[in-house]
Amino acid sequence: MLNLGHKVRFPAPGLLIVGLLLGSTAQANPDTLQLRDGDRDITLSVEALRERADVEFRFYEPYLTEDTEMRGLVFRDLLIEHFGRVPPQLHFQAWDDYDVTLAGWDDPNWILVTHQNGEPISLRDRGPLRLVERDYGNRDPDNLRNFNDWVWMIRSIEAVW
Amino acid sequence: MVEPGRPWRRHVHWLWLSLMSFTALMLLIAYQTRWVYPEIQAYFSQSGNLTGQQLATRSRDYLQLGLDQLLQAPDEPETRESAHFQIKLAYSLFDIGLYRREYDCTVPSLAAIDDLLLRLEGAAPVAASHLRESLLAPMRCLTRIEMHQLDRRSAITAEFVDKTRRHQGQVLAGSLVIFALGLGFWLMHELQRRRADRSARESLEWMSRALRDPLTGVGNRSALHDDVVAARGRSLGLLLVDIDYFKQYNDSLGHPAGDRLLRRLVELIEFNHGQKASLYRLGGDEFAVLFECQDDQILFHSCRQLVEALRSATIPHPSHPHADHVTFSVGAARFTAGHARFEAGYAAADAALYEVKAQGRDGWRVANLDTSIVAG
Repeated sequence: MLNLGHKVRFPAPGLLIVGLLLGSTAQANPDTLQLRDGDRDITLSVEALRERADVEFRFYEPYLTEDTEMRGLVFRDLLIEHFGRVPPQLHFQAWDDYDVTLAGWDDPNWILVTHQNGEPISLRDRGPLRLVERDYGNRDPDNLRNFNDWVWMIRSIEAVW
Repeated sequence: MVEPGRPWRRHVHWLWLSLMSFTALMLLIAYQTRWVYPEIQAYFSQSGNLTGQQLATRSRDYLQLGLDQLLQAPDEPETRESAHFQIKLAYSLFDIGLYRREYDCTVPSLAAIDDLLLRLEGAAPVAASHLRESLLAPMRCLTRIEMHQLDRRSAITAEFVDKTRRHQGQVLAGSLVIFALGLGFWLMHELQRRRADRSARESLEWMSRALRDPLTGVGNRSALHDDVVAARGRSLGLLLVDIDYFKQYNDSLGHPAGDRLLRRLVELIEFNHGQKASLYRLGGDEFAVLFECQDDQILFHSCRQLVEALRSATIPHPSHPHADHVTFSVGAARFTAGHARFEAGYAAADAALYEVKAQGRDGWRVANLDTSIVAG
């Protein structure tokens, strides 16, 4: 999938340092996922999502360069459950302050991963929630730029209508 | 292979080839703009995606933040917690299969970061030596990775630029070849089309010549037959005109004068009947006049008018046995156009003509197909 029209903003280093020194991320709680639809905020427990994870598959993980067991939820179903339908675009914020808006989520191929090789993933493993494509077709896994749409360490998801 | 009788197919083939060439050119251009350039954007954009900025760079930034915090207040729980968070982020961005595989400093660096994380999770003090081993050494490793990855990216970019230049050259050459082919095919089509047009025109001209009398320019016997067939079902008048003593005219004045007399006769008949009638030379000095004729009165009138017009022309005939000018005999009949009725109409007009000749020439007769004859 090409990521045309996607927008990424990395905060200026000075602001980032100030923010971090104020302890914003340190005090944040990576055990929750924030969903936002206009003025409506929904907080989901990562633990609850882990318990609901019902899709298991094994694939070659290009960032780990090894076959990996994954478990998670069909992302599209989660979007429909909370937003009513799949928004045309989603704005993601990650725990590492990665910030991106992407389209094309009406596809059951996207899995919100909660477990890797049987273990819940944490920030240390690019968790606690990560979006991957279950089947990435014949894209070359040695070229990581083929997987630019994957999102790690997801902190919040905002519907962009 | 082109089927006989369908020459248009040949130039339609050229037209198809030409259209296909131009379509291929359009597809090539569309492919270049629609698919190739977005791919370049995806591969070489430095921002707007997960790997736009190097993961090693981002990891090093978080290690620096953690180091900065720990240098300021290594024993404060909040600072340790914040630093722990930054270092965990750094670990996750550092723990990449590619880095593990290609840079031997990666695994020991990750192990050293893990040691520091464990130390921060507990209450163990963090000394300068720990920071040097668990943060500075991994940062050196990450810097090495960054530099190498930048070199590699530059090499790939240079290679890509080179490849793109070659590719563009090939596409340009290919486009020009396809364009030239399209143009060539179109020219072949145009040539074939013009040749076919010329051939059709020539055929029509030859067909027209085959139906005309070369001496007088009027239709011949075949043309008369074709015109009668084409007027099927319509009521027609047929006049057969014969020059009296034409052989004697030729013998005394010569054949060129005889030819001139034939052409003069044509002029006289055409002048007399105008555009409404068609004139044919059936052979020698015998002519036929064909026109739409709804009743016999019109036919009588035509015969009378024609003979009087010819008489009043008073063309000199030095060897005429009974007159000093050229005289004519006319036989006529009216019939409904159609093959069988034409045969009958022609035979009746011919019989009427011979009756005129038998009774001394210089006159006209109208044969009725019901056998009654009116003469003048």
